Amino acid sequence: MSNADELLRIEGIRKAFPGVVALDSVDFDLRRGEVHVLLGENGAGKSTLIKMLSGAYTPDAGRILVGGKETRIHGAQDSERLGIATIYQEFNLVPDLTVAENIFLGRQPRRFGMIDRKRMEADAEVLLKRVGVHVSPRARVRELGIARLQMVEIAKALSLDARVLIMDEPTAVLTSEEVEKLFAIVRKLREDGVGIVFITHHLEEIAALGDRVTVIRDGRSVGQVPATTPADELVRLMVGRSIEQQYPRERADRGAALLSVEGLTRNGVFHDVSFEVHAGEVVGIAGLVGAGRTEVVRAVFGADPYDKGAVKVGGSFLPKYDVNAAMTAGIGLIPEDRKGQGLVLDASVEENLGLVTLRSATRAGLVDLKGQREAAAQIAGQLGVRMAGLGQHVRTLSGGNQQKVVIGKWLLADTKVLILDEPTRGIDVGAKVEIYQLINELTAAGAAVLMISSDLPEVLGMSDRVLVMAQGRIAGELPADEATQDAVMALAVSNPTNQKTGTEASRGH
Amino acid sequence: MATDTLKSTPGASGASGLRRLLLDNGALTALIVLVIAMSALSGDFLTTDNLLNVGIQAAVTAILAFGVTFVIVSAGIDLSVGSVAALSATVLAWSATSEGMPVVLAVLLAIATGIACGLVNGILISYGKLPPFIATLAMLSVARGLSLVISQGSPIAFPDSVSHLGDTLGGWLPVPVLVMVGMGLITAFVLGRTYIGRSMYAIGGNEEAARLSGLRVKKQKLAIYAFSGLFAAAAGIVLAARLSSAQPQAAQGYELDAIAAVVIGGASLAGGTGKASGTLIGALILAVLRNGLNLLSVSAFWQQVVIGVVIALAVLLDTVRRKAGATPVAAGTGGNKGKQAATYLLAAVVAAAVVGASSFLHSGSSEAKSQKIGLSLSTLNNPFFVQIRAGAQAEAEKLGVDLTVTDAQNDASQQANQLQNFTSEGLGTIIVNPVDSDAVTPAAKAVNQSDIPLVAVDRSVNNAATAALVASDNVTGGKLAAKSLAEKLGGKGTIVILQGQAGTSASRERGSGFAEGLKAYPGIEVVAKQPADWDRTKGLDVMTNLLQANPDIDGVFAENDEMALGAIKALGAKAGKSVQVIGFDGTADGLQAVEAGTLYASVAQQPTELGRIAVQNAVKAAEGDKVEKSVMVPVKVVTKENVAGFTG
Repeated sequence: MSNADELLRIEGIRKAFPGVVALDSVDFDLRRGEVHVLLGENGAGKSTLIKMLSGAYTPDAGRILVGGKETRIHGAQDSERLGIATIYQEFNLVPDLTVAENIFLGRQPRRFGMIDRKRMEADAEVLLKRVGVHVSPRARVRELGIARLQMVEIAKALSLDARVLIMDEPTAVLTSEEVEKLFAIVRKLREDGVGIVFITHHLEEIAALGDRVTVIRDGRSVGQVPATTPADELVRLMVGRSIEQQYPRERADRGAALLSVEGLTRNGVFHDVSFEVHAGEVVGIAGLVGAGRTEVVRAVFGADPYDKGAVKVGGSFLPKYDVNAAMTAGIGLIPEDRKGQGLVLDASVEENLGLVTLRSATRAGLVDLKGQREAAAQIAGQLGVRMAGLGQHVRTLSGGNQQKVVIGKWLLADTKVLILDEPTRGIDVGAKVEIYQLINELTAAGAAVLMISSDLPEVLGMSDRVLVMAQGRIAGELPADEATQDAVMALAVSNPTNQKTGTEASRGH
Repeated sequence: MATDTLKSTPGASGASGLRRLLLDNGALTALIVLVIAMSALSGDFLTTDNLLNVGIQAAVTAILAFGVTFVIVSAGIDLSVGSVAALSATVLAWSATSEGMPVVLAVLLAIATGIACGLVNGILISYGKLPPFIATLAMLSVARGLSLVISQGSPIAFPDSVSHLGDTLGGWLPVPVLVMVGMGLITAFVLGRTYIGRSMYAIGGNEEAARLSGLRVKKQKLAIYAFSGLFAAAAGIVLAARLSSAQPQAAQGYELDAIAAVVIGGASLAGGTGKASGTLIGALILAVLRNGLNLLSVSAFWQQVVIGVVIALAVLLDTVRRKAGATPVAAGTGGNKGKQAATYLLAAVVAAAVVGASSFLHSGSSEAKSQKIGLSLSTLNNPFFVQIRAGAQAEAEKLGVDLTVTDAQNDASQQANQLQNFTSEGLGTIIVNPVDSDAVTPAAKAVNQSDIPLVAVDRSVNNAATAALVASDNVTGGKLAAKSLAEKLGGKGTIVILQGQAGTSASRERGSGFAEGLKAYPGIEVVAKQPADWDRTKGLDVMTNLLQANPDIDGVFAENDEMALGAIKALGAKAGKSVQVIGFDGTADGLQAVEAGTLYASVAQQPTELGRIAVQNAVKAAEGDKVEKSVMVPVKVVTKENVAGFTG
């Protein structure tokens, strides 16, 4: 039964958590020199599965075979010994140590009891070269961008002589250029005989990189198909039904300008940013990571200060750097970092939903807890948050449901202008469509939506107008019917020091 | 659909309710285990009187801890509460007595002081962006310093009308317990029902998310630390009312007890969790432990070890409970049962450890000797008091009485607790070595009421009846020190004085005796006077600093030998040659230095003798024999000439 090329085999794995069976009779296998894609909606059990391979969880039933031998993985040491390395979405790097120190953390080469810096850095250099990234081994990790952090993680995995490399949504945070680079590295590793478990939500990546695909739905493996399987079929396997339309945008009537931003500038970060968002309209902001999109919307919301310019809501000026004024005026922000900025992870669904309305639900210092609960129950039902109960901690919800909670707390506050920063990052196809439907409902009800997204098809599919930012400036504006991937990318990589030419160039399309 | 499967489970039968409550709250389980263990070990534990004592003894820590709960829930820390409590009490006593303010106004002023300290903490943290640890550490020092400045280092008697706060209602219900319960209810209400309370959880859970959801985080933090200051002020007033005097040195280290109580109660220092009920249980665990260990006459040194172990075990139990509690719903699976078993096992281990340790450590009250005597020492951190204990124990052995020694760690309120515990044990006689002569009064009066004779040793008890005072005369000793030093210097020269801990009676008495003795020698000039807190290391540091400013001094008077030895280290080769040092106490180390010639003289008390005579008198008093009201154990100036014949 064992195959010489087989690195890893999982048979009939089961794992239960309170109230939920996370995995049940899941089968999976991995051969040398292949990229095996693990596909499934959020909450389907992919993370639980890889956590069992990395030793964070132990299975309740079933077998794990490594190199044909049955093994139990009880901790990170076990998996390291077996040659399994995992790169999580949240990196395990120490920001204030150097790249070389991070790569060899805990295993630094020693000489006379002291760390042999020279050798460590030389070894790190070799690994970094193999990964194809130009970073000094002596650079501090804090100074690196997200793509390079990932390369350092890969170098770390290589230093462990990993035969199995598990990558949990490695492309979610990368720009398309960076994704290409990552793919090149993954292909090289595959040639070297490493087996790669690759988790992604981007179906197009499967065809580009994968060899085989295992689809997991509701904790069960529902099929193993070649990577050449058409996307429609993969979606059907993943959600158990076919999704009619990926971007179901329904245009609403455009009303008066709700939000106008004039000449907004923070020196060195963004310059002279002006735009309007009308009632019933979805305005997308596209651009490369680092173009200043998040910074602009945070300034509009009052979360960060700005130096020049003005923000008007419904005609009246907002004071700068004042979240409460922005909220009172009806602006809401769904931040990019859901866990870090959007949610109190160890509080319940109910508490998180009631966060924004906490103040308005307070009379003479006392919170109307009953009213808060009723409101939370109603909105959670309306959004279809899948949870064990209102008392469940949001940490234990899946990404899509967490995002629904973040959106829900703003819906409760009767938000008129909703700013969404990467609203569907790390969310599966099914939940994405649900969030798009929500956006439709909002605009139909006369609200204005401003949406940042690095997912180009999403921006193009959902926006009525697209603003493209590059290097801290608005490089151009495209109406929905003129916005194509090429047009947006051309603006995104342009050098819009003079804003006028940028705008005109875009109009020329 | 997952919703439905879960909802049905909590509605299970009520019989498992208690078990569930215990499993859900590790601290409560630990408390119950402790109470059962203590009742099994000591017949004096489970009486109404003693349980009320535990309540009183928990009150101050609990009130402080309630305030700290707000801070810890919001992911901060407040180290200043002990000092702020002392400052508020001092402000109250000072404004009501020295400034003649109406008591109501004085109380309001004291509370305002607490709130102001909290607000300053909050401003430093919110707007100054200081880490809470540092901001409140600074306030710890500032508030302590201010209370010393206002009181000029001496305890201030408390106005009578406020002292009632330390009394009982209807003769049995102690007011501190009522205040504790009241503050606890307020805490629970604030945390559970109010806007600011709910904000605390959000801020503690994720400050950035709270800010982006429109909570005014900075303003909330001001209020949170102000709350902590308010509670500290309340605790300070209760503490001082119990002692009938405001002690500038009161409540030292209480911040750590308060933080321990909050964490034992299930809060996380990372913020976002914590409850008033948990904090109350945490404070009760600490109080039950101290009370029980007193009753069991566990050695003072081992008490600290046991307390530390129990704190660790209580939190460990809670951690295990949480891990087990993470899977309570999927009942029926094997792994879950194992975890529950682990919780029970740990509870059993805690119980066994406490029972075992206590019965091992408490030196046989079961042997049932004829007479039981308790000795509450102010501290055991200093050889002098250790020698008192040695003398007392030797004499107790000789006379065949059972002697229990406790260590008040220089904390007047802890001493009051120990006296209370001695009283409820029904001892034959209680010997007290007061931390402070005034602060011990209320506890001493309570001892008087129970008709147990009280013997004071080394320091007197003011305003309460004592059968005997066994002491060496500090004022005379101070005078003798002045005389010998002045004569050695030929009546001429400059000297510095190293004082004991500011606010202690020994320091005041020795200092005033020395000043009086020096009046006869106008040629001697005191160029500097600085406290070194009875401590050798501090004596070294302070002396080093003083030498920088006054390099040409001729003499040093240190109010105890420990500081004198530190000063000698600082003086180096000068000691005994160009600079004469005189100490106080006549400890073994001090006498050795006298023999070596580096210490010119030590005003020797005879601590072993003090302990011996105290026990003698205590036994006499217990048997109803006549005792002399005041036994003065002579002090002697020991120099190189007579050191050979002198032993402490």
